[in-house]
Amino acid sequence: MEIIIQQLINAVQLGAVYALIALGYSMVYGIIRLINFAHGDIFMVGAFIGFLLAVKFKLPFVFILLLTMFLTALLGIAIERIAYHKLRNAHRMSLVITALGVGTFLENLVRLAVGPQTRQIPAQLSNNILHLTNGIVVTEDKLLIIGISIMLMIVLWLFVNKTLIGKAMRAVADNIDVVPLMGINVDMIVSVTFAIGSALAAAGGIFFGQSYSIEPYMGIDLGWKAFIAAVVGGIGSIEGAVVGSFILAGIEVFTVAYLSSNLKNGIAFALLIILLVIWPYGIMGKPSLKKV
Amino acid sequence: MGKIKVFLILSLLILVFVVGCGSGSNNSIDELKIGVSAPLTGDLAATGASTKNAVLLAEEEINSSGGIKVNGKMMKVKFIIEDDENKPETTATVFQKLISQDRVLAIIGSQASKCSNAGAPIAESNKIPQITPWSTNPNVTKDRKYVFRACFIDPFQGKAVALFAYNKLGAKKAAVLYDIASDYNKGIAEVFRDEFSNLGGQIVAFETYNTKDTDFSAQLTKIKATNPDVLFLPNYYNEVPLQIQQARKLGIDAQIIGADAWDNPELLKLGGELLEGTYFSNHYAVDIAGDKSKAFIEKYKNKYGEVPDAAAALTYDAAYILFGAIERAQKADPQAIRDAIASTKDFEGVTGTISYNEGSGDPVKGAVIIKIHDGKFIYDSSVKP
Repeated sequence: MEIIIQQLINAVQLGAVYALIALGYSMVYGIIRLINFAHGDIFMVGAFIGFLLAVKFKLPFVFILLLTMFLTALLGIAIERIAYHKLRNAHRMSLVITALGVGTFLENLVRLAVGPQTRQIPAQLSNNILHLTNGIVVTEDKLLIIGISIMLMIVLWLFVNKTLIGKAMRAVADNIDVVPLMGINVDMIVSVTFAIGSALAAAGGIFFGQSYSIEPYMGIDLGWKAFIAAVVGGIGSIEGAVVGSFILAGIEVFTVAYLSSNLKNGIAFALLIILLVIWPYGIMGKPSLKKV
Repeated sequence: MGKIKVFLILSLLILVFVVGCGSGSNNSIDELKIGVSAPLTGDLAATGASTKNAVLLAEEEINSSGGIKVNGKMMKVKFIIEDDENKPETTATVFQKLISQDRVLAIIGSQASKCSNAGAPIAESNKIPQITPWSTNPNVTKDRKYVFRACFIDPFQGKAVALFAYNKLGAKKAAVLYDIASDYNKGIAEVFRDEFSNLGGQIVAFETYNTKDTDFSAQLTKIKATNPDVLFLPNYYNEVPLQIQQARKLGIDAQIIGADAWDNPELLKLGGELLEGTYFSNHYAVDIAGDKSKAFIEKYKNKYGEVPDAAAALTYDAAYILFGAIERAQKADPQAIRDAIASTKDFEGVTGTISYNEGSGDPVKGAVIIKIHDGKFIYDSSVKP
């Protein structure tokens, strides 16, 4: 029993990081129907910005988190303006290829700038081990990371569902061709979406760099995982991205725990295919309803 | 307009291609060209840097003493260093390029077993001698006539670690976490499992992950439940600190041990205090160096400002095994050089004495056990072959 709970904590932590990345995929797809394959690399850049702020400027954790989210949001807006804006009405495939190009560019840029070594963002949060009950341990930083991640997701949900800009985002997701007639500035809404998606990915990057390690190509594998989580949850849906992420992390962790670590990816992805066969549009996705 | 653009781009491509090839086919025989395949970028970039440092040091030394006498004429040595990114597929391309384009006499490399193993069939079929400094997986040289190594092999190393864990640490229950997608990690993990069981110990957990995984908490939680005396992590230095950190965070207090892929300054940079009191097997220990090793360590430190890791020391030895073979062959001919390498007897290297028995590319060498103490690698004990 203790082991199940311990593994559950492991899964929640992993799922929280997947979710922070998957949200950006899902939101961007909802707004402009683009599968932004550079998103995993934006997450990586966020992690490295956090690393530099922590190592070179030795800022406190809250400032690192906020400043990194802000800077990465700017990067997201810039990428959309420079690389995707002119292609908005082009064939979808051109946009996807451009996104892959942007991702490759970011990987190599970071590799040139900081080198290929594996690093870790120095611990900013307390590493104290808390013994919950017999056998179950959790470190304080783990709890904080899970807590902040979930808080960010709630804030996002409130923003999209309760504010005017959020309403405009939902409108753009619903029909990008009609909303300009209502006086909504589509370019601004698209920028806001990229900014939010990138900022969340940056938060994920910092948490990831604290708990695990970072290197310039880390965004590829994690980007794929988060993309798959978003699709399983129902791409375009915020709730779906979160649900899909926790499901993916849960399947991965429990495959290792009760089946075999050799089969981790094999079983995880086989199960995900089955989920998609049952829900072709993802668990929370609906064929043609509003998507954000 | 469109056609002109296409034409311009095509001409440019052809130009680049022609110029690129032209520089490669320069087939002069006034220098001895030796290829080096090393992970200059990628996850083992620090090992790539050690490799490059070591061959450049050897090149500088041999050339400043006039070079090597071949066909009655002194010739300079020229190393051609290529980046294999620590990827098997890139290593194969690098070997192909070194052999067919640069027409090297021999190749040193690569470092990770999975890469050396990808290059070896190409060296073998082109009859170009290959010496890998650091690849300890037995398959690299197995059934190959042109492939040699400067290090011991994992059946020996895995046994040494198992003996150390069982006899010296008094461990009865051992757990292993290793990268199943990498030849080296998988090979030594399996040897350790078998040897530790043979000694009477119990393997309570044998868990795997895939290269580039960063979250090991599920496997470690499973390991923790088995309450092992030792945790064996036969993985590369860029991953080990993260594994130890996650193990400690989950409350695993078992003694942690490792193998030669730990030996790189990066390990200490990443792991810090977490590594205190851990042990690993290695090719040589800097603090008990003999005269030959001391001279090398001194020269290396002066030139590059850091203590050479085992990969650097073994690469340096590989270079001198090759220099000696070329000198004895007295010919710039791969076949003659191969035969001379195979007949190497009692070569005094930095990492010990190296002899090849005919028919095998594996030298018989001892290992050392290193303890990490006060942020330094300290010699603990020796293991005879």
